[in-house]
Amino acid sequence: MLKRILRLLLQIILFIGIVMAFAFSVRVTDPDLGKLFSSSAQARQIIDPLLRPDLVTRDSETRFLSLDFPVPCGSAPEGEALGSGPRIEIEPGCAEVGETVLLRGSGLPENTDVVVRWRLSSEGTLSLQRLTTDAEGHFELEVQARAIATTQEGVAPQIEAEYTLPGGTLHLSQAFKDVINEIFVTFLMALLATTIGTIIAAPISFVASQNITRIGCVGSGAYYLSRSFLNIIRSFEVLVVASIFALIVGYGKPFAGIIAMVFVTTASLGKMFSESVEGIDPGSIEALTATGANRFQVIMHGVVPQVIPDFLSYIIYHWDINIRISTIVGFVGGGGIGFYLSERLKSFEYAKASTAIIVIVVIVMALDFLSAEIRKRLT
Amino acid sequence: MSGSSRSEVKQPTWLHGLLSLIFPGLGQAWRRDTMRAAGIFLAVATALAIAIWYHWRTGQTFWYVFVALLHAWNVWDAMRVKGAPIFLAALPWLVIAYGIGWQATEVDPMALVENWERSSSILRSLTRPDFLARNTESFEGWVSVEVPCSTEPPLAERMNANGIHIRVSPNCAAPRETLIVVVDGLWPDHPTQLTWHTPIGDTQLLGGDNFNQMLVIQSDTEGHLTALIQVPARALTAAPDPNAPNLHKVYVSQQRELPGITFSENGRYVVQGIYETLAMALLTTVVGAVLALPFAFLAARNLMSGNPITMTIYVIVRSFLNITRSIEALIVAFIFVVIVGLGPFPGVLAMIVHTVAALGKLYSEVIEGIDPGPIEAVRATGASWLQTILYAVVPQIIPTFTALTIYRWDINIRTATIIGFVGGGGIGFFLWQWIIKQDYRAISSAFIAIVILVTIMDFFSARVRERLV
Amino acid sequence: MLRIENLTKVYPNGTQALKNVSFEVQEGEFLVVIGLSGSGKSTLLRCINRLIEPTEGRILWDDIDITAAKPRQLRAIRRQIGMVFQQFNLVKRSKVITNVLSGRLGYTNPWLSLFGLWPSGEKQRAHRALERVGISEKADSRADALSGGQQQRVGIARALMQEPRLILADEPVASLDPVLAHSILGYLEMLNQDGATVICSLHFLDLVHRYATRVVGLKDGLKVFEGLPKEIDRQRFKEIYGEEAQEVRAATMEAA
Ligand SMILES: Nc1ncnc2c1ncn2[C@@H]1O[C@H](COP(=O)(O)OP(=O)(O)OP(=O)(O)O)[C@@H](O)[C@H]1O
Ligand SMILES: [Mg+2]
Repeated sequence: MLKRILRLLLQIILFIGIVMAFAFSVRVTDPDLGKLFSSSAQARQIIDPLLRPDLVTRDSETRFLSLDFPVPCGSAPEGEALGSGPRIEIEPGCAEVGETVLLRGSGLPENTDVVVRWRLSSEGTLSLQRLTTDAEGHFELEVQARAIATTQEGVAPQIEAEYTLPGGTLHLSQAFKDVINEIFVTFLMALLATTIGTIIAAPISFVASQNITRIGCVGSGAYYLSRSFLNIIRSFEVLVVASIFALIVGYGKPFAGIIAMVFVTTASLGKMFSESVEGIDPGSIEALTATGANRFQVIMHGVVPQVIPDFLSYIIYHWDINIRISTIVGFVGGGGIGFYLSERLKSFEYAKASTAIIVIVVIVMALDFLSAEIRKRLT
Repeated sequence: MSGSSRSEVKQPTWLHGLLSLIFPGLGQAWRRDTMRAAGIFLAVATALAIAIWYHWRTGQTFWYVFVALLHAWNVWDAMRVKGAPIFLAALPWLVIAYGIGWQATEVDPMALVENWERSSSILRSLTRPDFLARNTESFEGWVSVEVPCSTEPPLAERMNANGIHIRVSPNCAAPRETLIVVVDGLWPDHPTQLTWHTPIGDTQLLGGDNFNQMLVIQSDTEGHLTALIQVPARALTAAPDPNAPNLHKVYVSQQRELPGITFSENGRYVVQGIYETLAMALLTTVVGAVLALPFAFLAARNLMSGNPITMTIYVIVRSFLNITRSIEALIVAFIFVVIVGLGPFPGVLAMIVHTVAALGKLYSEVIEGIDPGPIEAVRATGASWLQTILYAVVPQIIPTFTALTIYRWDINIRTATIIGFVGGGGIGFFLWQWIIKQDYRAISSAFIAIVILVTIMDFFSARVRERLV
Repeated sequence: MLRIENLTKVYPNGTQALKNVSFEVQEGEFLVVIGLSGSGKSTLLRCINRLIEPTEGRILWDDIDITAAKPRQLRAIRRQIGMVFQQFNLVKRSKVITNVLSGRLGYTNPWLSLFGLWPSGEKQRAHRALERVGISEKADSRADALSGGQQQRVGIARALMQEPRLILADEPVASLDPVLAHSILGYLEMLNQDGATVICSLHFLDLVHRYATRVVGLKDGLKVFEGLPKEIDRQRFKEIYGEEAQEVRAATMEAA
């Protein structure tokens, strides 16, 4: 009875403790949900381009239409508008400084962006307006003659309209190509890291297995040493390690990311491997020892054949994890797709970032599926 | 089984070879050896993809030789009833993958040695983390000086509240001109630091030829000090208008050690970062677990396969969870930082999103694996959908759910230590600042703190889960 | 050939599994060790090739003290002593032929065998060993695809590869049905007739009567009997197996 009351009391205390810790957490992290809704402008600024990934571009041809426009009148001959086809006209054909004229465009492609600008007689340009043509390919714009755009040395300033012809062929955008390039690098980074990690972890895992090593004084020493080694590097956070190695081998180098992933791979494969080695059938070790084989032969012929399927399945599993990791080690300078993505995000090129995110999702999901399938077949 | 498949191979084996020549693995597939066929196809396809990519990137065509070797092996394998030795196929694949991998990822072990100075200074500072410092007491005062001179410069003399009296003459100066500073009321016989503070609060050093060293002068036995200083060359560079006279400050300060030890300044940041990290992890785990529950039930096949509508919901929720899960929390955090600004909040949001996705999937797998017996029994009593879940499903899943949640908490602690790298709060935020500043001793104190935190939590969560299962 | 003197084994947890056991084995004998479960039979057999370190006493193999042998010397002795186990102890994921070949490890260059490169002479020897136990057609199957009796025959073939002078068989038939038991013991008898000495622990008295040339009885780690099989009468049986024991027969029928 007393025991049950004590138990209940303990549970209540635990519960109150958790609630208090939670309240404390809320205070410390200061979540401001209102901010999430009030900052819709910033949200749109990033979400909109993210929803429009830069996957394909069109071959496009840029066309220019221009017309001489003397300011003041008579300082140079007026430009003559074309009679047909894409053209611009100005009414009247010249102006004094401060006067307003009407610029009319016609024969242009429908609903296309047009950029109108002054081309000054001193070779410089002065942007006026960006506008869109109507359904008939017309546009109109009032333009004021300005002191900066006057005829100089007999050369009249021009008004220029720039537009892009639609209907070029579709092809993959540069961002998409860059992302594919980085994906290959990422894939290979994960492959190298997994391999190196395996090569380090496999021998250590045998030393860190009770049933293999923990015999005699030297054996126990080696066992505890390797165990502690694995435990310590297990608590190295991969991004922390990557950022430190990025300091050493260079920011943005895939090598830094590989080193960091080798640490995680060694730690977790070492642990999984040694668990698998500890779980083998001890009978075959006994049998091989009885034939007069030495310790090394016993491991190679008695233990290794038993653990190979487990090892393979863990390796594939971890390769999958490494692909995920390599999508983020780049954020701290570890190279690969993560580096590309973080650079795009930092320079506000969200459409390109979106391309990278989409490819990451596809690749990660595909490899997830593939690795699960292969592992299913292995066991 | 093996006997029958062997007798099936009646066709002339060159036919298989031909098929495999046309398409890698086709001959093997024709022989009904699907696993082998799939493996061969994957191997040839990946090798070819890597070779093409590297050709496109660098123009090297040499690697195609190994793809050809691999393909030849595949044909040979198809033509032999017993198949060809696998390691002969592994060889060219490995050469391509590692050869290209090594080059493309710029693996350069020498870089570790070449930058030995930096590596060793990082390693050395690991033994001296900037976490604790001796207690100190400081004694300081200042006086303002006009730079450059106006027509009527104010008097550069000030009696500080703690008794430090400073006079500077002349009252004003231009950069690189010399000033005489006379101080009284200091601690006697004690090193005294002199620094220059610009109006925007920038601290500049006064020692050395290029103003790159701290100027330290010993006070005399009466607590008196006289020094010649030069106005720093860059005293005006930060001012909005360099020609307008402004009041700068000359600071004197003395420091002495007291018995006892406290956190250093960075040490305090480490502590703050650690508890922010813990708070973020707890908050995201709890909120994420709660939010994951509805998703879990909607993404459980056995509950949703009743009719086409629920099945559609199932597919949608499942895909949503899978897609969200494959975007790392760090990436999501970056996006939230843009939206709501720096601090723990964006990190919390990102981690909640990821937690919901991951736990939603794990929970739903638990639900899918439950024993259908009790469900049938409860349903047989005429219970509604909700009642069935409450009485037949919930009791079965509580222990596993708890174990998964604690496991997730463990992961969230690890995530919370690094989410600050993109501005998401926690210890990672400070660590990232120090990495940018290359403050190795602070880096090492954060690093050690994270290692200790993760180790303890690992141990703790393993114990709790052991008890539950 | 083998002399055991005052052998004592105390396990780290304090269990006294063998107490002062002494006896001698002559070349060509088929010695059977009997005793209740837990009486120390397995411990005794494993002490002989030092799979278990004896606590006290000596084991003399051709006048060499096994208990004092250095690792290299010990391996040289072990390879002359084949061992057959109750649970067969095969490497289950490896092929039968690989398992048989592994009996030869004590003789081969560790580096060659590492890569699965066995001299062709050894391969032939392995096939001959499989032929002798009548399962040569299973050479390329995986060990775990075999039935219990077949696995035990692989175990014997593995021991055969050592060209052993002594075979230790720890309850080789305890996991098999009675008919198979006779067939397995038949193989051991055949090896015995070819010149190998056999020390075998058994549970069933009828098997003891059928195969043993001499018997050692253990009870709670003490040797309580040593003599010819026919000397085990009802009285002796009770001594070894305790008052309530009933004699159990492995099979009333004789295999072939
Ligand atoms: N590794 C060990 N650690 C501690 N005690 C052990 C160990 N192995 C065996 N024992 C104990 O030693 C005694 C003898 O065991 P042993 O296995 O030799 O008996 P056995 O005669 O082979 O029995 P069985 O017929 O069941 O195989 C038993 O009491 C057993 O519990
Ligand atoms: Mg036994």
